[in-house]
Amino acid sequence: MAEYIIRRTFQMTIVFFLFLIFSYLLFNAIPGNAFSNLLLNPNLPPDAYQRVLEIYGLDKPLLERTQMYIVNFFKGDFGYSYKYFPKTPIELISERLPRTLMLFSIVNIVAFYTGFFIGKVLAWRRGSKAETWITVTSVFSYTVFYPWFALMMLWVFGYKLGWLPIGKFLYPEKWYDAPFDSDVVFTSMIKFTVVISLIQFAAYLASRGIESLSLRRNIRFGSLITIFAGSYFYWNNGDALIQKPYASDIAFHMILPVMVVTVVAFAGTALLTRTTMMEVLKEDYILTARAKGISQKRIRDRHAARTALLPVVTSFIFTIVTIIDGSVLTEQIFSWPGMGQLLLQSVLEEDIPVAMATFSFVGVFALIAHLLADVSYSYLDPRIRIKSQG
Amino acid sequence: MEENFNQDLQKELRREAIKRNWQLFKQSKLGMIGLYIVIFFLFLALLQPFLFLTGIWNKGVYDPVVGYEPIKDTLLVVECPKEYPTEKYESYQDCPAKGEVNVKKLYMAPGVEVGDMYETFIQPAPPSRRHILGTDSLGRDIFSQIMEGSQVAFILGLLSATLGVGISTILGTIAAFFGGKIDAYLMRQSDLILMLPSLPLLFIISAFAELKVWHLAVVLGVLGGLGGSVITIKSQALQVKVKPFVDSARITGGSNMKILFSHVLPNVAPLALLFMVFSVTGAIASESVLSFLGLLNIDMSWGIMIYLSQTDGFIFSGMRYWWLILPAGLAVTFLAGGFYLVGRGLDDVFNPRLRKR
Repeated sequence: MAEYIIRRTFQMTIVFFLFLIFSYLLFNAIPGNAFSNLLLNPNLPPDAYQRVLEIYGLDKPLLERTQMYIVNFFKGDFGYSYKYFPKTPIELISERLPRTLMLFSIVNIVAFYTGFFIGKVLAWRRGSKAETWITVTSVFSYTVFYPWFALMMLWVFGYKLGWLPIGKFLYPEKWYDAPFDSDVVFTSMIKFTVVISLIQFAAYLASRGIESLSLRRNIRFGSLITIFAGSYFYWNNGDALIQKPYASDIAFHMILPVMVVTVVAFAGTALLTRTTMMEVLKEDYILTARAKGISQKRIRDRHAARTALLPVVTSFIFTIVTIIDGSVLTEQIFSWPGMGQLLLQSVLEEDIPVAMATFSFVGVFALIAHLLADVSYSYLDPRIRIKSQG
Repeated sequence: MEENFNQDLQKELRREAIKRNWQLFKQSKLGMIGLYIVIFFLFLALLQPFLFLTGIWNKGVYDPVVGYEPIKDTLLVVECPKEYPTEKYESYQDCPAKGEVNVKKLYMAPGVEVGDMYETFIQPAPPSRRHILGTDSLGRDIFSQIMEGSQVAFILGLLSATLGVGISTILGTIAAFFGGKIDAYLMRQSDLILMLPSLPLLFIISAFAELKVWHLAVVLGVLGGLGGSVITIKSQALQVKVKPFVDSARITGGSNMKILFSHVLPNVAPLALLFMVFSVTGAIASESVLSFLGLLNIDMSWGIMIYLSQTDGFIFSGMRYWWLILPAGLAVTFLAGGFYLVGRGLDDVFNPRLRKR
C-alpha cells in the first residue's frame, strides 16, 4: 500500500508538471494580452504599451517565459497580478477563498443530508404515489437549467416579494464604520460552522453504537440543544458580539444562494442514494434481518442505509473537488465575489499569474481527491486489487 | 445450410432479447414518460423542416433567425402620473398597463392626445393564432426558435455523448483489461483532464476558436470521453474482468484481443449505453450554459433564447413577458429530464437488482 501511494505521488508530480505547462500555453494561446487596452488610450505615449510589456516580461519569447514561470512556481513565487498590481495571487486567493468555502460548505452539508434522507425514504417507499412525485420533483431539480432557475428565484424572492437582497454579499452602507475587514468576519463564521459540524459529528459517532433507539435519539437531541446554547453564548460574548451585526448581514445575503444551490444539488445525492439503496435491499442479509423480526425502521436505517452510504460518500468527495469549478456560475449570477469570480475574471482578462495560481489550486485539489477515492475503493471492495491499477 | 440455420437462430435470439428488454422497459412508468418527452422534442425538431419544405410556413416570417412579422396592435394613449401610488397604478412599473401606451413615449408622433387609440407594431408580441408562442423582441417566432433549438440540442447531445462514451468505453476497457503501464498512463491522462476546471476551460477554447455546434460537440465529447467517465467505465470493466467466464475463455485458449472484444466489451456495453444517455443531459446543459453566457457562435439555441431575454431585460419583468422566459428554460429542463428518465428506465432493464420483484 505504502509503495503504491509513493508511486502514485511520483506520477502525480509528473501530471502536475504537465498540467502547468499545458495551462500556461493555453492561456498564452488566447489572442491579445492583459494590456491590449493600453493601445486604445490616445492619452498615453506610443511606447507606453511596449514599456509595460517589458516591465512584466511579456516581450520575451513564449518558451523562455514558460520555463521561467515553472521554475519560479516550484520556488514558491507566483508573480504579481496584472490587474491588481501590488497584490500577489496568493493574497487574492486567501481573500476570496473564505467567501466561497463559507457559502458552498453550508450548501454541500445541507444538500448531502437532505439528499441522503430523501433517497433513503424513496427507496423504502418504492411504488407508492409519494415516491413517484418526489422522484419527479428531484429529477426536475436535477436537470433544471440552473442559471434560468436561479434568475427566476432572484426575481421571485428578491424582486417581486422583496424579502431577500439581489446579489452582493453585504450592504456596503452598513460596513462604512466597521472596525475590521469582511474577511475577519468570514473567518470567524467558518470557524464557528466547523466547530458546530464537528460537535454534531462527534455526537453522531458516540451515539452510533448505542442499541436503544430512544436513548440514541435523546443523545443527538441533547447535542443539538448544546449547540444552540453554545452558539447563543458565543455570539453574545467578547469579540463575536462586535462582529454579530456584520455576520448577520452576511448570513442574510447568503440565504438565497444557499437555498437555490441546495435545491439543485440535493437531487443528485437523493437519486444516487435511491439506486444504491435499492440494490442493497435485494441483499440476503436484509432478508435475514426481516426474518429475525427487526423493526422496519431499524432495517432501513441501520442495515440498509449504512451499506448504501459508501458509494454516496465517494461521489460526495468528488463533489467537494468541484466546489470551486461549480461556483463559477453561481457566483456570477449572485455577484458573490469568491473564487469562482476570481477564476472567471482572471481568465477573461488574461491575468495569467492569477489564472495560473487558481487553476493549479483547483488542480491539486482534484489530484488528491482522485488518489483518496482510489485508496478508499480498494479498502471498500477487496475484489478490485490495487496491484492491478499499476 | 447449417450456417444459415445458425444465423437465423442468432437473429431470432436477438429479436427475443430485444422484445424482453422492451417489456422490462415498459414496466418502468417514469422511463416511458421520459421516452415520450424525448419523442415529443424529436417530433418538434423534425416538424420544422417539414413545415418549411411544404410551404405551410413562409420562410420570411417564420425563420428562427431572420424571420420577421410585424404584429399590429391598438393601444390606448394615457399619461403616466408623476407620483405613485394613484388610484389606477400602484407603482411606476404598472404604468403603462397592458394595452396602454405612455403619451410621453409618443413624441415622434405629433397630434396624439391622451384618450386616443394609437395603432402600432408591437414586439415582443404575445401569443396569437399565427404565432403560437408569440414573437421575441426582434419579431421572430418563438415556436420556430424552440424547434430550431431542439434540433441543435439533439445534434449536440447525441453526437457528443456518442463520441465521449465511445472513447471512454474503449479506453476504460483497455485500462481495466491490460492494467500495468497502460492503465497508469490512461488514468493519469484522465487526471490531467479532470484537473482543468471545465467551464473556464471552455471559455478559453471559445476565446481562440469560433465554436459552432459541431465543434462544440466534438470538444465536449472528447473532454468528457477522456476525463472522468474513463474512470467510471474502468471500474465497471474491472468487475467484469474478475467474472469466471473471462477465466474460462482464457483457459480454452482465447487470445487477449478475442477476450477483450467478444467477452469484456459486450458486457460493459449496456453500462456504456446507460452512461451515454445520462451524458446527453450534461451536454445539453453545457451548451445552454455556454450560449447563456454568450460564448458560442450559434445562430439560435435554447441557451441563446434565454441569453437574449436576459440581455433585453425581460427576465426581471416577471410573467408579463412569460413567452420569452418560460418556453426556452422549460425546454432545456424537460429534454434533459426526459433523457435522464430514459436512462433510469434502461437502468432498471440492465441492472436486475433494481427491478421490483
